[in-house]
Amino acid sequence: MKRIAIVDGVRTPFIKAWTLFDALPAQKLGGMCVRELLERTDFDPAKVDEVIMGCVGQPIDAANVARIISLYAGIPVDKKAYTVNRNCASGFEAVTSAIEKIQAGQNEVVIAGGAESMSNAPLTFSKEAAGIFMELSRAKSLGNRLAVLSKFRLKHFQPVAALQLALTDPVCGLNMGQTAEVIAKKFGISRERQDAFALESHKRVIASREKLREEMMSVALPQKFEKFVLDDNGVRENLTAEQLAKLKPVFDRHSGSVTAGNSSQITDGACALLVMEEEKAKSLGYEILGTVAGYDYAGLEPSEMGLGPAFAIEKVLRRTGLALSDIQLFEINEAFAVQVLACIEAMDCKKFAEKNYPGGKPLGRIDLSLLNVNGGGIALGHPVGVSGARLIMTCLREMKRRGLQRGLVSLCIGGGQGGALILERNA
Amino acid sequence: MSTAWKFHEENGIGILTFDKPDTEINVLSGQHLGEFRDQVTAIAARRDLKGLLITSAKPRIFIAGADINEINGIVTEKDAFEKAEQGKQIFQVLEDLNIPTVCVINGACLGGGYELALACSHRVASFSDNVKIGLPEVNLGILPGFGGSIRLPALVGLTRGLSLILAGKINSAKDALKNGMVDKLFPEKTLFEDALSFARALQGKKSRKPRKKDAMTAFFEDNFIGRGLVFRRARADVAKRTKGFYPAPFEVIHLIEKTYGKISRESYRLESEHFSRLGTTQVSKNLIKLFFMSERYKKLAWTGTKIKTAPVKKVGVIGAGVMGGGIAQLVSNRNIPVRVKDIQDKALGGALREAASIYKSGLKRGKVKKFEMERKMALISTGLTLQGFRTSDMVIEAVVEDLGIKQKVFKELGDLCGSQTVLASNTSSLSVTQMAAAARHPERVVGLHFFNPVHRMPLIEIIRAAQTSNETLERTVQFSRQLGKTVIVVKDAPGFLVNRLLLPYLNEAAYLMESGIPAEALDRIAEEFGMPMGPIELVDQVGIDVGYKVAHILQEAFGARMKVAAILETVKGQGLLGKKSGKGFYVYSGKDKKPNPEVRITASGPRVSQEDALKRMMYIMINEAARCLEEKVVDSPATVDIGMVMGTGFPPFRAGLLHYADSVGLVKVVEDLKRFSAEVSRDRFEPAPLLVDLAAKNKGFYTGL
Repeated sequence: MKRIAIVDGVRTPFIKAWTLFDALPAQKLGGMCVRELLERTDFDPAKVDEVIMGCVGQPIDAANVARIISLYAGIPVDKKAYTVNRNCASGFEAVTSAIEKIQAGQNEVVIAGGAESMSNAPLTFSKEAAGIFMELSRAKSLGNRLAVLSKFRLKHFQPVAALQLALTDPVCGLNMGQTAEVIAKKFGISRERQDAFALESHKRVIASREKLREEMMSVALPQKFEKFVLDDNGVRENLTAEQLAKLKPVFDRHSGSVTAGNSSQITDGACALLVMEEEKAKSLGYEILGTVAGYDYAGLEPSEMGLGPAFAIEKVLRRTGLALSDIQLFEINEAFAVQVLACIEAMDCKKFAEKNYPGGKPLGRIDLSLLNVNGGGIALGHPVGVSGARLIMTCLREMKRRGLQRGLVSLCIGGGQGGALILERNA
Repeated sequence: MSTAWKFHEENGIGILTFDKPDTEINVLSGQHLGEFRDQVTAIAARRDLKGLLITSAKPRIFIAGADINEINGIVTEKDAFEKAEQGKQIFQVLEDLNIPTVCVINGACLGGGYELALACSHRVASFSDNVKIGLPEVNLGILPGFGGSIRLPALVGLTRGLSLILAGKINSAKDALKNGMVDKLFPEKTLFEDALSFARALQGKKSRKPRKKDAMTAFFEDNFIGRGLVFRRARADVAKRTKGFYPAPFEVIHLIEKTYGKISRESYRLESEHFSRLGTTQVSKNLIKLFFMSERYKKLAWTGTKIKTAPVKKVGVIGAGVMGGGIAQLVSNRNIPVRVKDIQDKALGGALREAASIYKSGLKRGKVKKFEMERKMALISTGLTLQGFRTSDMVIEAVVEDLGIKQKVFKELGDLCGSQTVLASNTSSLSVTQMAAAARHPERVVGLHFFNPVHRMPLIEIIRAAQTSNETLERTVQFSRQLGKTVIVVKDAPGFLVNRLLLPYLNEAAYLMESGIPAEALDRIAEEFGMPMGPIELVDQVGIDVGYKVAHILQEAFGARMKVAAILETVKGQGLLGKKSGKGFYVYSGKDKKPNPEVRITASGPRVSQEDALKRMMYIMINEAARCLEEKVVDSPATVDIGMVMGTGFPPFRAGLLHYADSVGLVKVVEDLKRFSAEVSRDRFEPAPLLVDLAAKNKGFYTGL
């Protein structure tokens, strides 16, 4: 099988929802990101075969947002595009789909990534209310209209946040935060440990501002273009353990430990990666970021979705014949501090391995100093359709800085999945 | 036997086809009108036809208009009157046919061509982009003289008809349908068959359904009060737009006022009368001259070779000022991705703002739709580094006017970009040859001088450096035309063409200020001559610092005759920068301007008459233009005129600076220059040898070169 390379990538700053990027819908964030990628790589837009974008909350006015993004970025109309949704790992799925398409001979060059504007997730009317509105539009006479209007009750005007619905899994009836609480209790991970992990995430981002700038484009804010956004704005300078400790648990008032402070943030952003066969990249004279050695996804109990990485990582190591100790750098998406910590414990736990791994043997312990070294979703935010792509890019760049050869990227996925991908670089 | 019009029949429907021999373009000359009359007369004599189609054999063109050469050839009012009457009578025979006549429009249908269509009972067209329908005669200083001024308002209504004729608007097929100028649109592929079916369905009846009018329209059109308002408003609009220099629109209003709602033999005769008054005016002749020149310049082959160049698919702009932003908008508007670079985010924001504001005003004026605007703006990306420039086909630098900095930019670009990338400079005053010397492959360096505001000024001055290759030049000419601009190519000399003529004009105005003529008076003199803005206000607009800088560059290059007037030095020293700082020679508050009391002049020298003031300002430009021709900075007087009309707004009704000079007579011009040389300044007014030579031979620029 051909070795597929990630040639280069760029992302917009990750911005807290309803702040600076509020006026930029996903198609615009994605469009400018893909355009920037083409500029940075001096790549001819006419040579891009397909654009694959992850996006969970697709804009209602931009169906198949990847296509809109492709055209906004100046890629010619005769090229292809489609949008993928594997929930929190949509940005991942975009890249693995790109790999599959290239290996299948369907594409030679793909731009894969994600775009998400959680700020612009719509407010919806309940189905009952929508029904009454429909009736109203069909009523012809004044009498009919009045009759329909009288059906409205106050409760019908209460909008439902689509975001809220999207972050709840209908199969197990829990929202994402509640699944994190499930794991917290199962693994007995304390509030203090979660907060410490969260604090570290923020500290690492702050220490890595310069490094992070390398992977980002600056965004000029419409309509006045007076402000240029250069940095992620979710991270809190001068955050203390005391401040974190003061927060109340959001998902379980009485006995919970998961707070807004040790969870990822709701965020807007976009990321785009240039993907093609390694041979082709070399023949075009590119110095690539790295190649993909293998990837896999795994399914698990939706109510424990946070453990997704523990399952997916085992699968991908088995697939590639590698051991955990072969991996030199890790990125696991910080959906919740507790979920990352739980994964680390699970992968090192005999009982867990016996129950869940075919070989029955634990994988080993991930060194926290090699994990999310430049910070993670808790400080940067987690624009659901994008994070997977960001993690791949950020891991490769750090591997380059440190001269490392093997990295591993993983995410947990709402609905009960996990994804994991192994990256390689020639030192 | 007629050679241009051919008749055949299909099952009782007659078909008249126009195919002017030996040319790609259908125009109606007097001869073809005569042939047409013979054909229609023969048709009128028959009893057996159920309908008539009138069509063209030429792809993309129905009839592009009457023969403008014939209009140009009109000498007396009597000539004009007779021409108009002749055409009208022939179209009257057409209108009088007692079978339905269907005009089948497959392309350009303008002026006399559309007037023929108006004499038919029905009009149909195809959906093609080639369909262009309108009565643009006003743009040539005349009015529709073959019945169009009477028939169009009768067909589409007073307000619409009046505005279509006054604006000379050229309509697309869809717009023509909306306006009522055509009755139906058919797919291009089946236009002829569909038109035949349409004609058959009329079953031999000419009658049409009356136009549906809403209450508002009825008010304005059906009673004399409403109509009075319409005409009053139209006159005010026209007066504002044309400042009284162009008689045609007023004649149109006058004519339609007299004839709307009461079509008779008399109305048509009045049309011929108004037409005849206009057809002999110098304004019309000049507008026709200008029309021929601009058509020629749209396609002029500057390199004389038939090099086929690849279209530009990606542009880079370095320098994100107002010009950078304007250029980015212009390029993105043609759906070409453009990358803008600067050293500061602030500047990049300014460029994006500029582009967005141009698009927004286009949105307001209905020139672009919102979704188009979003897509085009997305094609503009910005950055602080040269990323994205390597694969650009064309890079335009619009950085600060400093030779050292520009050379640095060209060196960097030369090292970075492929040898096929054209490197262009938007410099207004520095030597492109010197910039080229700093770049690898200097043959791909060229000057590409845009005018402010970029989206509105139709001219681009392309400057050929000593090293510029034919290939590069051709590519740049094609690119500029791709952007919708008219191009002149000039040699790389200080000031190129436009600035080299404009600066002495502005400088002379400054000298005249020093002699005691107030700024407002000078500006008024120039505006009464036809300049869109007076010289002093123009200096404020351009920026006193900018004007001063360019003036000094020219003084350095050309010496005493371009010596910068002292008042400019003084005003600059006072820190007055012009409109951008709110204060210059005038003080600006909102839309008002008042003379700035801070500008103090102690008048010196004898009083100058208004007449002499105008002459000094204009003739100094003519003199300098003669020098440009002598030095072969430009190739012909027409290039000078196109440059001045399209780059500075020199009055089109004078057909340009050198046509104006010829109309004054070069003998007189040289006489006055000699007088100014003796009485005012020898350096500034010594007549150029070329001028003296032409005057001695009693020739003009256009007749003696």
